[in-house]
Amino acid sequence: MSASRTAPRVAVEERLFSLVLALLATEGGLSKSEILSTVQGYRQRFDKGGDNANLERQFERDKDDIRDLGVPLETVESPGDAGNNQLLRYRIRKGAYELPADVRFSAEETSMLNLAAMVWREGALSGESRRALLKLRGLGGAQAQQPVLGYAPRLRSRDAAFAAIDAALEKHLTVRFRYLKPGQTEASERHVIPLALVQYQGRWHLSAEEPETGRRKMFLLRRIVGAVTTGRPAPQRDGDFAAQALASLAEVWEAGIAELEVVAGSDADRRLGSRAGAERHGVVSTDGGSSNAGESLRLRLHFVDLAILADELAAFGPEVVVLEPAALRSAVRERLTLIGAAHAPA
Amino acid sequence: MPRRDPDAVRAPKFSARDRLAFLLALVPWLMDHERVTVDEAAAHFDVDADLVRESVELIAVSGVPGDTSSYQHGDLFDIAWDAFEDRGEIVLTNLVAIDDAPRFSAREAAALIAGLQYLSSLPETADSAAIATLMGKLSRGASGPVAPVGVAGEATDGRLATIRDAVSRGVQLELDYLNSRGEHERRRVDPLRIDSNDTDWYLRGWCHLRQAVRTFRLDRMSDVVVTDRPIEHRVDEVALPDKLFEGATTELVVTLDVASAAVPLLDDYIPDGAPRSTHGDLVRLELPISHLDVLKRLVAGMPGVATVVGPPEARAAVEAWAQAALERYSVD
Repeated sequence: MSASRTAPRVAVEERLFSLVLALLATEGGLSKSEILSTVQGYRQRFDKGGDNANLERQFERDKDDIRDLGVPLETVESPGDAGNNQLLRYRIRKGAYELPADVRFSAEETSMLNLAAMVWREGALSGESRRALLKLRGLGGAQAQQPVLGYAPRLRSRDAAFAAIDAALEKHLTVRFRYLKPGQTEASERHVIPLALVQYQGRWHLSAEEPETGRRKMFLLRRIVGAVTTGRPAPQRDGDFAAQALASLAEVWEAGIAELEVVAGSDADRRLGSRAGAERHGVVSTDGGSSNAGESLRLRLHFVDLAILADELAAFGPEVVVLEPAALRSAVRERLTLIGAAHAPA
Repeated sequence: MPRRDPDAVRAPKFSARDRLAFLLALVPWLMDHERVTVDEAAAHFDVDADLVRESVELIAVSGVPGDTSSYQHGDLFDIAWDAFEDRGEIVLTNLVAIDDAPRFSAREAAALIAGLQYLSSLPETADSAAIATLMGKLSRGASGPVAPVGVAGEATDGRLATIRDAVSRGVQLELDYLNSRGEHERRRVDPLRIDSNDTDWYLRGWCHLRQAVRTFRLDRMSDVVVTDRPIEHRVDEVALPDKLFEGATTELVVTLDVASAAVPLLDDYIPDGAPRSTHGDLVRLELPISHLDVLKRLVAGMPGVATVVGPPEARAAVEAWAQAALERYSVD
């Protein structure tokens, strides 16, 4: 191992860059031993005739890193020696590496993409959006390099489970996690094939298939308790699962209807009334006994998740009363009771 | 005065992977631009000039093992060193291996496509056919099947287009604003920037009534009118705080116990470096708050996961809010 101890340090990006260049330049591919013995950053640490296990592991990690960047590193089996791992060859085909010639962006498109990348400036996909922007700028001549002025939009992915599930989707692995349904006190163990991650009305959902039953299930990421672990390779599933998941959430939203009474001119009136699909039914007579309620309005809202809507409605305090459904009415009451009790004088 | 780029302020340190992505993007760009300066490249890519310089130095000594497997001179990139060292000019004089720009990774394409879906409510993206074309290009430009990440676009809020109009024309807005105390006020605002967090949209602007930078929720506005008056404060003259609700003049600091999983929900209210301590599954936080009416709404929306520890008047405000609401259910 003396070779690796005395070898000059080659920066990680230099080794990765050299690997990409070497594999782009080869037609028939390079074998692992050719790579380790000749490519800059490996060759300095290569021990001819010795044990290169560390270096081989380094190469395996580097392959993953490069592929994560969108570089299509291929393995080619030697003709006549299929299945012999030692004779695998590696290469990057230019046609698969290079951006197709017709994929170029106008100045307008570039500024939209700048904005789309900015949306992810924090959270699990911030690295991806940063690198996508570098590639986008490398294309070009377009003048509008600055984001559309005057916007700072942001999508959040702060659910702890997001990154793990996103990675499992990318690698087509099953996932295991504990899930706490509203109203239950114990989280239950779930094992599913992830199909899509979608944000609907500000909340991230996992659309997944139960391998035992084949049934499609929707999970709210914020209800996942503890760590998400990845399991076996998941069977291949084809379809536009993100669009399907969004469509099924939209169906649930359409079917979920809450009838509310809000104090006219209040924060609840203005903000709940601003929601997509909110319908005002005009002024109603206030129900007897509520002295602090002024003029009231009937408001019909659609919702996906009763427990989440109940949290949101509780925030508006006396500005809103739930009329229907009864389950939502009692859920809001429970929350208010809980808050009152938690803040009662000792 | 250089324009402040909200993104650049918090530009994270580049990882080795970021540096590789930059190298792969930089080479074909330099091929298309025969003679550029380090500063021009840095401005174009919106990165540090040092990163450009280091990257060019690396490119200049990189290449392929070649027929001899020993990185002979002709197997390496080369640059015009004198021009580079004397004048900061980048001229590639020998090219190897790379002919064209790289594809996007499947996740990079997914992030951009989901970002575009999210932005589908903006006036700029009203042309849905153009956006669909753009998404198609991203899919074709990805190295693999685009990861299934989707975002439901919100319905267009008419206020957004009005505000956008004023921002781009640099004129003041007048609007009716309902603050968290339930007070309606007519405000005159220099619109500076439209911010959003997921489904919540905000206008950040200079409020002429308060003579300070304020954050306004779009869904608390009504009667938004674009005036002819030019704005008096420009975005590059006013420091917009990073946190949406930070910087409000406040004397009130409350202590909260928050379930650790729910702490991110308060991100926009917690100044960096605010005191916090962990007690089992609870995090104790000190939260500056502009008014008890803000606090009661915030805490009432986090039932079971956030409790005000003190001061007593803050607890009382939350309790009174919950009790007043419960009275409305007293017929049950």
